[in-house]
Amino acid sequence: MIKSDFIARIEGHGNLNVNWSERKVQLNVLEGERLFEGILVGRTAEEMHWITPRICGVCPTAHNLAALNALENALGIKLSQTTVLLRDLMMAGQMIQSHTLHLFFLSLPDYLGIDRGTELAKKNPALFKDALSLKDVSDYIVKIVAGRIVHPTTSTIGGFHKIPTKQDLEKILGKLEQTEKAAFKVVKLASSLDYPELKVDLELVAQVNDLVVSVSSVNIKGRKQSSIANYKSDIEEEVKSYSTAKFARYKGEVMLVGSLARLAVSGYSDQSYKLDFANPFHNNFAQAIEILYYHQKATNIIRKLLKSKLDSRIVKPSKSPSLFGIGVIEAPRGGLYHEVRLDKDGIIKQANIITPTVQNLSSIEKSAQALLNQNKSRSQKELERLLVMLVRAYDPCLTCSVH
Amino acid sequence: MSKNQAPKVAIYDFTDCEGCEVELISLKEKLLVLEKRINIVDWRLGQEAKENGPLDIAIIEGTPITKHEVNLLKELREKSKVLIALGACACLGGIPAIIDKRERFKWYKKIYGEKYRPRGIDALPLAVYVKVDFLIHGCPVNGDELVRILQDLLAGKIPKYRGYSVCFECKQESNPCRLLDKKSCLGPITQGGCQAVCISGGSPCYGCFGLREDPNIKALLKILDDITDQKEIKRYFTMFLKRIKND
Repeated sequence: MIKSDFIARIEGHGNLNVNWSERKVQLNVLEGERLFEGILVGRTAEEMHWITPRICGVCPTAHNLAALNALENALGIKLSQTTVLLRDLMMAGQMIQSHTLHLFFLSLPDYLGIDRGTELAKKNPALFKDALSLKDVSDYIVKIVAGRIVHPTTSTIGGFHKIPTKQDLEKILGKLEQTEKAAFKVVKLASSLDYPELKVDLELVAQVNDLVVSVSSVNIKGRKQSSIANYKSDIEEEVKSYSTAKFARYKGEVMLVGSLARLAVSGYSDQSYKLDFANPFHNNFAQAIEILYYHQKATNIIRKLLKSKLDSRIVKPSKSPSLFGIGVIEAPRGGLYHEVRLDKDGIIKQANIITPTVQNLSSIEKSAQALLNQNKSRSQKELERLLVMLVRAYDPCLTCSVH
Repeated sequence: MSKNQAPKVAIYDFTDCEGCEVELISLKEKLLVLEKRINIVDWRLGQEAKENGPLDIAIIEGTPITKHEVNLLKELREKSKVLIALGACACLGGIPAIIDKRERFKWYKKIYGEKYRPRGIDALPLAVYVKVDFLIHGCPVNGDELVRILQDLLAGKIPKYRGYSVCFECKQESNPCRLLDKKSCLGPITQGGCQAVCISGGSPCYGCFGLREDPNIKALLKILDDITDQKEIKRYFTMFLKRIKND
């Protein structure tokens, strides 16, 4: 019998290796290497944003947009306002898609005592209906704007091959209005869940415009920041013998990226919710808050688009572009970095990609260790359950991490 | 039908992006209807529960790139009545197959350093290692096709492939012909079932649904020759179809 004891209900293949006598934890990532940075070399610029979404089927739109951002920087392209808004709309849809999938199908079963997400249909039909309606509206946004719910077809360097009509946008708006209540209910649900206790000192990191900003999980008042241009030296990757994914740190510190980090960096504070930035389990709570945030953001973007004249122009490259570009985006799981160098014929000479999960791996190990240290009286069985639940709370995409 | 009599189904993902499973989950209500007719005994992405016995249907997404995956694939073949490949990586090798075996080792060194001991061997379609009963094509698979094929399987039928090319569906979508517009396209030799979704969005067809029956590749190459250069033709034919000869 071939053993395949990978952690269930996470994206990709990995497991936590616990040495119970020494109480030491190791996170093994065992995903097969696809070598996307190699796949891209020799391909055309136009193929980069086609190929990179295939890094991850849960956040393909984020990889599509990060690649386009890198390419457009390399080619000196400044986008039209319509394109900027439509891409923000695609990304808002992507955030809700990914968070809904993760919360309801991968993480929530832990809190609700079920195994498969669809069991919720029997256990709590109203909640399940809300979950499906949020998945539905976000799939609809991405399908209308990006052409398909997984792996975009409409976006291109400098704009879109095709843009939605105002009637299309009005249809999305209608669906958003019908589902806003569901988004509020998800936050309410997340605020009522019983999160295991945990306190970890981590550097919470998020992109803010051209900057990488970080705050401490135990004191979010003090901010550090650095330029995105230095991402490669500031977010340092390390190769581990037990993992096909590299492990990153931010300026030497163990870092956490994603929903919880974004809310901390944005200075989010709502006294009615007791969001705890030092407890990585609260990443699930933060994802619920973000579902509502991106739902409302999508509505606002559409209202803006409907008031403006839609500009379907595709912007051409500048006359003397630098041919080197860094593209960034806050993907559902955190800051995503794509880098590209082109030759004068538009062929890719070099590419580099740092995914959010790579930045979370050291932190998963540290938090798992903290969980063991802070729960000395619990049984091994209980701890095993909590450790797996903790890994899931991070929403790791091991597929992305081994790209 | 009680859950005990329902066909035992396992869903596995090898090396890939898991986008085809996302399409499966995105069937939402339709997935619930299908789910009632089967007994999912093993699905790592969807559940913790896991049974080991013989299977009626094994659905496998991804390319078996590591030795572990190749061995698991062979074991799954032995214990399954029907083995189905889900998506381009399982059917064709997919995007990971762009890099061939020799090149892999060059990139391991560049990306991971000299000391690294890689896990991946080569990205190949499932059919290189085992007999595959049906290929559900696409990068990603198409939701409606997925429902059609799964319904056929549950009715005890071996589903049929689409007997026409992407061009047929592209016309139904009223798209202007890329080839007539002097743009490269693999639609004429590619099996339908995708509803020409890429071309409708403005992107090229790179053939992710695999070759149709009796494809006239020579005729297409002649047309492409007039439109573009050999380098671009090669890039098109190596996006998804690089390992097709291995079938």
